[in-house]
Amino acid sequence: MTRLLVADDSETVLLMLERRLEMAGYEVITAVDGQEVIDKIAAATGRNAPDMILLDAMMPRKSGVEALQELREGGNEIPILIISAHLDVEEPDRMAELGANGCVPKPFEWDELIGRIEELAP
Amino acid sequence: MRLNPSLTTRLRVGFIVLFAMLLVVSLLGVARLFQIRVDFEDQTQRYSDLDVKAAQMQTAFATENAAVTAFRRGGADQAQLRDATAAADRTDAQALQLAAGDSVRPLVRRRIAAEEDWRRRVADPLLRGGAPSAQAQRESGASVEAASRSLAAGVDEAKDASRDRAHDRTRNTTILVAAGLAAALLAALILFSGLINSMRAPLARLVGGARRLAGGDLETRVKVGGPVEIAILGRAFNEMAAELERDARERDRLERMKDDFVLTVSHELRTPVTVVKGFAEMLTAEKGDLNSRQREAAEVISDSAGQLQKMINDLLDLARSDAGKLRIETEPVSVRTLVQNAARRMKPEFEEKGQRLTVSVESELPKVMADPHRIGQVLSNLLTNANRYAPEKARVRLTAAGAGRQVEFAVSDDGPGLDEEELEHVFERFWRADSGESQEVGGTGIGLAIAQSLIELHKGEISAASEPGEGASFRFLLPTVSEKANGASGDGAKPARKPTQRSAAKSKA
Repeated sequence: MTRLLVADDSETVLLMLERRLEMAGYEVITAVDGQEVIDKIAAATGRNAPDMILLDAMMPRKSGVEALQELREGGNEIPILIISAHLDVEEPDRMAELGANGCVPKPFEWDELIGRIEELAP
Repeated sequence: MRLNPSLTTRLRVGFIVLFAMLLVVSLLGVARLFQIRVDFEDQTQRYSDLDVKAAQMQTAFATENAAVTAFRRGGADQAQLRDATAAADRTDAQALQLAAGDSVRPLVRRRIAAEEDWRRRVADPLLRGGAPSAQAQRESGASVEAASRSLAAGVDEAKDASRDRAHDRTRNTTILVAAGLAAALLAALILFSGLINSMRAPLARLVGGARRLAGGDLETRVKVGGPVEIAILGRAFNEMAAELERDARERDRLERMKDDFVLTVSHELRTPVTVVKGFAEMLTAEKGDLNSRQREAAEVISDSAGQLQKMINDLLDLARSDAGKLRIETEPVSVRTLVQNAARRMKPEFEEKGQRLTVSVESELPKVMADPHRIGQVLSNLLTNANRYAPEKARVRLTAAGAGRQVEFAVSDDGPGLDEEELEHVFERFWRADSGESQEVGGTGIGLAIAQSLIELHKGEISAASEPGEGASFRFLLPTVSEKANGASGDGAKPARKPTQRSAAKSKA
């Protein structure tokens, strides 16, 4: 089963994503900030390692953007999909430069989100 | 301290100096002319007197000569001769006195000398009992006559010379006065042009400053200078500019705060909408577990969340447009695809109101240079408008046709239409037309404002036309792809991230 690490500082968004992604047949691990994402990726090994990350761009403590940079600088090539309520037209370019595999704006078009996940973590 | 008299003082001093100079020159000139006149009259009088006196001298001599002749013939005694001599002497003395200090005085003396010579040679010997020759009497008499004539001629000459001299002096004085007046005027001219020059530079700076200020350069300040009044004007100008700059900065700050506020609020609303929409969609997807009333509620929540999302996106677009952050990504797009996609998306809404949507696209239209998602949004906004304002069972047409080097898209309906005043406001944000039967038409009234902003970003034109009762039509023009651009797009050199960008910018219109 495809394992997704979902990071968002809003508990309700996290809960909604967890429930719906589980319904869609994914295994979901959650994180509330960038640091937790780094920690969980570092802790998970082998079969427990997530197949991709859904990463909120703006979070307290450590933002999704910072976590993305840190992972890529550490040589981690795990697919990362940025989810953000603050995406403007030029933002996706910057995210792609930092090594993100894609961007999806909030609120989600569900079918689009699922499509992108399937694309990146078949 | 540098002397900087006021404009009024400068003008006053200038006029007083000019007036004084003119007055002095005029008075001196008049006095001198008067003096010349008086001198001329005095001399004229003296020469007339001398003329008369010369004639009297001649008469006296003639009397004296006649007395000598008579005496010689014995017709007169010695006393008569002496009387005639004494009378001639008196006249001579008077003539000498008249000619005192004049150029004719030597002539008078010569005449008197000639007479005295005559007496020595003729009268005196006769009185002493001698007998001077008639020859001597004639010769001496002739020399006195000659001296008399030369005196008369000399007086005439002197009279003429005096007249000429008076003429010359009058002319010279006139020239001097004219030169004096000209000098006074010249001085005044220099004074006043100095005054004007002292104003010109600061005034030019003020004019330049005012133009720059009008052109929007609110940091404009002018260098204060020139006469006091101009300096005061310069200071007032600078104060005004400072005030305007302060106001503009404050207005900009408030405007930015408003834009930031709308952007922040729209962003912050997105998180709860994401959750509501997500869960509502989850519930509607789980049809089996809900009864029909719960399912209906879940569907309503889902629809409303969708509407809320659209409004938030519209507000964001508007805020971005105001902040100059609304961007488009143009590429060559097929007109048919744009039109058909928009029609397909809106089909359910038209079916719900029993309206008929017909689509017609001219064949073989060139591609247009457009952001497909944004033009889709414009078409959706126009169609939504028609759907809302046209009555049930109405007919709505969506057409695309070539118009020179542009393509014209049109959405027209046979609804109630708009009157002239409504047409003027139709693209204003938050403005909504009267729906006629006061039914709730919905919408935020910003769809057309956004459509206008987007079409302007495409360098196109959007317009509305209507006759009340005969429906409304909205048209916009988009530029077609030029031959060159078409070739460039055929290279397939699109950046790899393009699909990401499009999906990121995608939001349901």
